[in-house]
Amino acid sequence: MTAIDPALSRRAPPKGAALDPVFRYACFAAATALLASLTGIVISLLIGGWPALAKFGFHFFTSTEWNPVTEVFGAEGPIIGTLVSAILALVFSLPVAFGVAVFLVEFCPSPLRRPIGVAVELLAGIPSIVYGMWGLFVFAPFFAMHVQLPLMTMAQPGSLLEKLTAGVPNGANIFTASVILAIMILPYMAAVLRELLLTVPVQLRESGYGMGSTPLEVIMSVSLPYVRRSAVGAVMLGLGRALGETMAVTFVIGNSHSLPKSLFDSGSTIASTIANEFNEATGAMHTSALIALGLVLFLITFVVLAMARALLGSDKQV
Amino acid sequence: MNALNTDTFEHYASEVPPEAIKLHVQNLDFFYGKNQALHGVSLPVVNKGVTAMIGPSGCGKSTLLRVLNRIYGLYPGQKAKGMVMLDGENILDRKVDVATLRSRVGMVFQKPTPFPMSIYDNVAFGVRLYEGLNRAEMDQRVEESLRKAALWDEVKDKLKSSGLGLSGGQQQRLCVARGIAVKPEVLLLDEPASALDPLSTAKLEETIVDLKKDYTIVIVTHNLQQATRVSDNTAFMFLGRLIEFAPTAELFSAPRAKRTADYIGGRFG
Amino acid sequence: MASFRRARRTVAAGAFTTFCWITAVIALFALAAIFWSLLTQGFGGLNLAVFTQSTPAPGSPGGLMNAIVGSIILCALGMVIAVIVGVLAGTWLAEYGRNTPYAEAVRFVNDILLSAPSVLVGLFVYDVMVAHVIGHFSAIAGAVALALIAVPIITRTTEDVLKLQPTALRESGVALGTPHWMAIRKILWKSAGSGILTGGLLAFARISGETAPLLFTSFGNQFFSLDPLRPMASLPQVIFNFALSAYDDWVRLAWVGALILAGAVLAANIIARILTREPRRS
Repeated sequence: MTAIDPALSRRAPPKGAALDPVFRYACFAAATALLASLTGIVISLLIGGWPALAKFGFHFFTSTEWNPVTEVFGAEGPIIGTLVSAILALVFSLPVAFGVAVFLVEFCPSPLRRPIGVAVELLAGIPSIVYGMWGLFVFAPFFAMHVQLPLMTMAQPGSLLEKLTAGVPNGANIFTASVILAIMILPYMAAVLRELLLTVPVQLRESGYGMGSTPLEVIMSVSLPYVRRSAVGAVMLGLGRALGETMAVTFVIGNSHSLPKSLFDSGSTIASTIANEFNEATGAMHTSALIALGLVLFLITFVVLAMARALLGSDKQV
Repeated sequence: MNALNTDTFEHYASEVPPEAIKLHVQNLDFFYGKNQALHGVSLPVVNKGVTAMIGPSGCGKSTLLRVLNRIYGLYPGQKAKGMVMLDGENILDRKVDVATLRSRVGMVFQKPTPFPMSIYDNVAFGVRLYEGLNRAEMDQRVEESLRKAALWDEVKDKLKSSGLGLSGGQQQRLCVARGIAVKPEVLLLDEPASALDPLSTAKLEETIVDLKKDYTIVIVTHNLQQATRVSDNTAFMFLGRLIEFAPTAELFSAPRAKRTADYIGGRFG
Repeated sequence: MASFRRARRTVAAGAFTTFCWITAVIALFALAAIFWSLLTQGFGGLNLAVFTQSTPAPGSPGGLMNAIVGSIILCALGMVIAVIVGVLAGTWLAEYGRNTPYAEAVRFVNDILLSAPSVLVGLFVYDVMVAHVIGHFSAIAGAVALALIAVPIITRTTEDVLKLQPTALRESGVALGTPHWMAIRKILWKSAGSGILTGGLLAFARISGETAPLLFTSFGNQFFSLDPLRPMASLPQVIFNFALSAYDDWVRLAWVGALILAGAVLAANIIARILTREPRRS
């Protein structure tokens, strides 16, 4: 066999060695671009929204008057609308998503388990505009006809029910928007919760059943405690989605800037206001007010998402 | 007991004539971030011979091996201080091109790691980077490397199939073939047999003994019998320090340090 | 007493089981209803003209060709940008940055961008590209906005699949004297290939349905256009405009568009699932 070629012991650097630092810097630049784009979003929103925030100050958050003609902008309506519709959506969606996730993990007949699980995950990817269209053309008319009208006629004047249901019975209101949002985030939350429940070690669950516990007791005292922080994180992620969702809401919320007077009154969210008005903004102050709204939305979702991130996956360290 | 006090560690090292040394570790400290993993290690690696490194888990033997071709440099926060002389050149010097260094100091890992490509391409992969061989020359290099690694007869009919389809022992010998195809001067083996069955292990050991005619080999092993079977010199390490370095026969028959005696006598580790 | 407790437990367990069954039925029913509407409303309008004619004025015949082609161009351009940036950024996180504070910061920002409201991405790209760099609505601005939404997805999956590759595989490439970047490119990317492709498909599925960021960037265009510096129609934007219009034929086209869009997104998601399952089987 050949010995080591002496020429090789002083060998030249290999092909492509010169590009090593180039590649490294390209990767670094790409990672930095991510940092830069989030920073860019914040700066752009701050600069763009500053004129409106400076002019209206605290009134921007507490006034409900949004008037492009007189150039007076108070964003309480959209801000409250965003929070109310997202939280309502979560309230509607969470029990159902939880039930579906438990169903898939504990009760579903095994031949159906995979197909339904896959279907839920696929549905999480359907574009939100499809949910919005369905809301506008199918759900809103149905709702106006079969829920809103009967409830309104049933309500005694002066009762709580009347307060909650006051509004034009056309189906375009905060409540409908929340239902559509709930349906939209449902597959997503169900899929994440199911994944989480599946991370519970089989031995742990089996030892629960081994003590004669019912499924309810195993879920509540074994599985949920095991994943509780991540589960809260997943719920926060769902909330983040609902807060920032534009299309599913814009179709069905009714787009009025006043503070909604009841659940069945039309309203607006930050995202729907921006989507509706940004291209048709009448003046610099109008544009600035919309961008300031964007800044508020960013801050709200940032807090929610940062909390979600801190919670998700933190169970492993316990 | 203050185990981390340097004074409490014995240290014995046999002399090696300087001209017989291929790779000389001198006063090497190594850090994982703030954790110091090696403390002032000095070790001569004899040219065209097998040096075994033994010691309990966490003693720093694998860390030391990973310094010898600077593979640790892949990870931010790991750093080495001291000198490692390869033919009189300090490989820890910043000016050294690490890729070229690694082609001179090859490495085979604990678990077999065939690349996601054919057997032929696995072996030819490194060669293509350094040498512009024509087809016939490359075919010859691949065959020669596979023969040296005692794998040729088993794979000569399926060179075009994926390296991932081989058995564990074959995969590991493929990794050896891949390592020697670039004609390194030193070959580092990090517990190369720990994932193999006894039969594959025996074959691999034969290969190692065979290879020392041409290569300088450093092997980290948990298996003391293996060290006695394949190596000429043995280094015993403990808690990041070199305790004893001696010809293998000497170290195992008449260890000078008490810790070495305890370890090879099976009293700990 | 004991029997009372047992009875209560049995009732609770039964109620819980029923609750889970009912929620599953409700969820499946709601989602089935959406698909049913999509199919019944959209399928009838599906014909050749949809793919060969541009969006019409109200009352005249037409199709969605400009919007479909526009969406393909916008998504393709966006994906080119996003794959380059996302794969490189994911590679940096997995191979170079690792646990350094800077890498942790990038990871955090990436997670925020992953779920940040897309309408804000639209505002940002409007501010940079439409208001300043180019000066008017353009397809390229739309592509950049879509890319910004896709990059975090690709970065995340790239980092995740690269981290799944065995450490020894990474090191053994480098230990042969391969320059680090060639080991990454020829060994790690290859070995992680199907995972990275899956990330790409998921990102594609996500951006092809995005509407909000396109409204202020690529805007829309009644006519067929291939010019990246001009406004360009896209499927989601046409659906949005047509669905909210008062014209029946526009609404019908919006349903057809929604059906096509949902079909494309579903297909991309299904292919992505098949790809991730394949290597585990073999």
